Amino acid sequence: MSVSGNVFRYPEEIRDDFLQTADIQFRDGSKASPAEVWHYLTEIGPKKYPHIYDYSNYYGRKISGDVTLPFSLKHNYLIMTMDERMTKAKQNGIPVVFVQGGQSVDPYYAAGAIALRPASVGIWASCQHEGLNLNQEEVRRANQKEKAYRAISFEVCQSAGYENIQEGTVPVDMIAPYSCLRCSDVSYGLEAHRHGKRKDVKLFLADYPLDHQKDKEWAITYFAENIRRLIESIDELTGGKTTAEDLRKEIKLHNEGRRLAMEIADLWWSAEVPPTNGKDRRDLFQMGGMELHGDPEASLSLLREAKGYIAERVKKGQKGFGVSDNPVRIFVCGSCVFPNEYRIEEVGGIVVGNDNHWSDITTIVEEDGDPFYNLAKAVLSYPYEQSIKERAKWTVEQIKRSRADGVLFLYNWGCNTQSAVARALVDEIKRESGVPTLIIEHEQQGTQSEQLQNRVNAFVEMLK
Amino acid sequence: MALKTLEIIKKRLEERPKEIEKARREGQKVVGWQGYNIPEEIIYALGLIPVRIGVGGDDRMVEIGARYISTKNCVFVRETVGLFAENNDPYVQNTDILAFDATCLQTYRTAEIIQYYFNKEVLILGVPRNFYWPEAKVYFTKEVEYFTRRLEKQAGKKLNYQILADTIGLYDRIRNAIVTIYTYQAAAGNYLSWEETYDLIHAGYYLDRREYLSLLEQVLAELREKQGQPFIEAVEGEARIFLSGSVLPPGDKKLIKIIQEVGGRIVGDDLWSGLIPYLDVKIPENSLQGLAVGYLNRTPHGALPYLDLDTDRRIKRLKELIQTFKAQGVIYHTLRYCDPYTFKAKETKDILQKEGIPLLEIHTEYAGSDLEAIRTRVEAFVEMLKNRYDEEVAV
Repeated sequence: MSVSGNVFRYPEEIRDDFLQTADIQFRDGSKASPAEVWHYLTEIGPKKYPHIYDYSNYYGRKISGDVTLPFSLKHNYLIMTMDERMTKAKQNGIPVVFVQGGQSVDPYYAAGAIALRPASVGIWASCQHEGLNLNQEEVRRANQKEKAYRAISFEVCQSAGYENIQEGTVPVDMIAPYSCLRCSDVSYGLEAHRHGKRKDVKLFLADYPLDHQKDKEWAITYFAENIRRLIESIDELTGGKTTAEDLRKEIKLHNEGRRLAMEIADLWWSAEVPPTNGKDRRDLFQMGGMELHGDPEASLSLLREAKGYIAERVKKGQKGFGVSDNPVRIFVCGSCVFPNEYRIEEVGGIVVGNDNHWSDITTIVEEDGDPFYNLAKAVLSYPYEQSIKERAKWTVEQIKRSRADGVLFLYNWGCNTQSAVARALVDEIKRESGVPTLIIEHEQQGTQSEQLQNRVNAFVEMLK
Repeated sequence: MALKTLEIIKKRLEERPKEIEKARREGQKVVGWQGYNIPEEIIYALGLIPVRIGVGGDDRMVEIGARYISTKNCVFVRETVGLFAENNDPYVQNTDILAFDATCLQTYRTAEIIQYYFNKEVLILGVPRNFYWPEAKVYFTKEVEYFTRRLEKQAGKKLNYQILADTIGLYDRIRNAIVTIYTYQAAAGNYLSWEETYDLIHAGYYLDRREYLSLLEQVLAELREKQGQPFIEAVEGEARIFLSGSVLPPGDKKLIKIIQEVGGRIVGDDLWSGLIPYLDVKIPENSLQGLAVGYLNRTPHGALPYLDLDTDRRIKRLKELIQTFKAQGVIYHTLRYCDPYTFKAKETKDILQKEGIPLLEIHTEYAGSDLEAIRTRVEAFVEMLKNRYDEEVAV
């Protein structure tokens, strides 16, 4: 790793080893060789996106610095090329659909679309602005978000990409999330688009039934119909006709990603010392959702490669870059926000897992039989969407497997549905596991949140 | 000036908690419910006592509730949780079973919290968000059937469909009476105010429904005698206000009092704690399916997203009601963190502006700290409406 004046540079000494690694395989059959990736990360990226190379620990999305993990470099490449890749896909007639985080994206890809969650749409929009330093990028993002606040409400947490989609910054064709219990803003944010100026964006809600939904045949049948209609709506955009076989094939592909992520998690959690830092762990686990990069095959190729590297590090007892000795292990629960992993590592902690975005990855879809029904049944089984006791039971299993020392329940300001169960869920977790817990409200997005960090640091200190 | 029947209702409401206690001692069970899509007819037809729970306006209770649910939830749900935490409310004390629907996600969460912390038997009725789909009606019918089976267990008997048919008839008459009373309160020379009408609706949350119908019919008889045929028209010097937005449950009179104190006259509403649940209820057949379809076909609750603005029945109904009640302006009440209505405030303002109807959004909680700030804004709005009336008459 090389840092000069708080600007990160990939060190030349890792170049040769990196060039020996695998290509990134894309869905359209194309590839990116390690040489192309290296050139982008060392020549193009620093000029186009200086903010990404800012190496301040206050920047939670900064480059990991663990430069001998090829998947980490390739992940950064996929993030930085989001605009180029999406623009290319659009030129090839592939529709882009805005979805919710923490939901499976199998049906969207089966129908020939690209599914992007809010963070990915935000990255796409960000990548359209070149040459900004971190401060300029933060100001740009805040200005964009303000547009959503004005058009919807200042209490909106999840503006459903309103600011980027309605401004026409990103040419999203359709907004079609699942209305999971995880987030009420997604449904109302979706509805808000009906009064926006862009009338060409198609709106669809995959209606997620509530209350013991996975045990009710009529709820599964109803959600299966939602998936069917979702696919038909995408077909209207593509002009194609998606078959049950197409969906089955897609489910198999996504199951491979989900299984790989779980296998990697088992390896990671089994290690004496954490084999990566918290940021790399989060990116790696999340790849199992197959939606992080807007290209499931690309995510899959990274996962396949990553597994060997993680296994090797675990075998050697190699510690991730920036991780302290005997770090306090924190499991994060709550809404779609994360603490700054680097700053937790500064004070001797590490984030070892989270419930959000992991619940859907750990839900494998049955491959035999009616794929619509199977997918509906799996989606309605997400542990994160179950009753307090059931969700807590699953969370406690994850806490035990990850050998967490403490649980941090984090929810975003304005997040009604996760904050509502925060107290009850941590009470249940504490009762069942004996692990100490802390609930924190996450402030508005930004590089710094000292109040939040002080509390997290005090919690880590207490657990040492 | 007050109608005699209103005094009787007030007295009966004072006596009601003791009556319910007695009924419970004699073996009857009480179902406390909250939501928008629960067909109360089923509860009543099974011989269970329905009580619509949840009150507002008490900031202390909100604080108590926030110890269990979050400060990022609306004050209505926080106060509901507070009621169970404190357990002093006679209706809460006398509830055997709770029933919540999943229309509003925060109400759903409230049910989860009450179940978890206070060990209450809670039944949830799932509600489809794509409510206009035929498949959603099938789903909701199945939910209503499942809900009924669980209620039958509590009641210790099967639902008698003849009794259900009679109950639907009873509830239809209640609904018709309320809709007619609304016409009287909005008319010129009215003997009943909107606030009294609103209290009258809330009385129906607690009183036995047969007695309630009889009292409503007495109110109507009194009104016919005093007022004759109601005729709704705007009168000089009036600022006729329509209330829309978030719930205004029993006890939450902050905004209502302010509007009246500064000279505004509330003439109508589309609140789910007001008129809207009683409108457009057409039960196609006396069955569970009929009830499910009838309830789902009503004007939808704001918590159910609808993606096409041009065909939104809620907005269509809002415009119709503003016309029916000859309202000159809308006060759009939003509770903090009530996303279903807060997120639609600007949209609703823009839509009504095109119709020449001004809208003032009041975003508030139950605390009194914003009382004077609200008063200033409402007073200016009322004054503006009165001036507009004068200008229109002058033209």
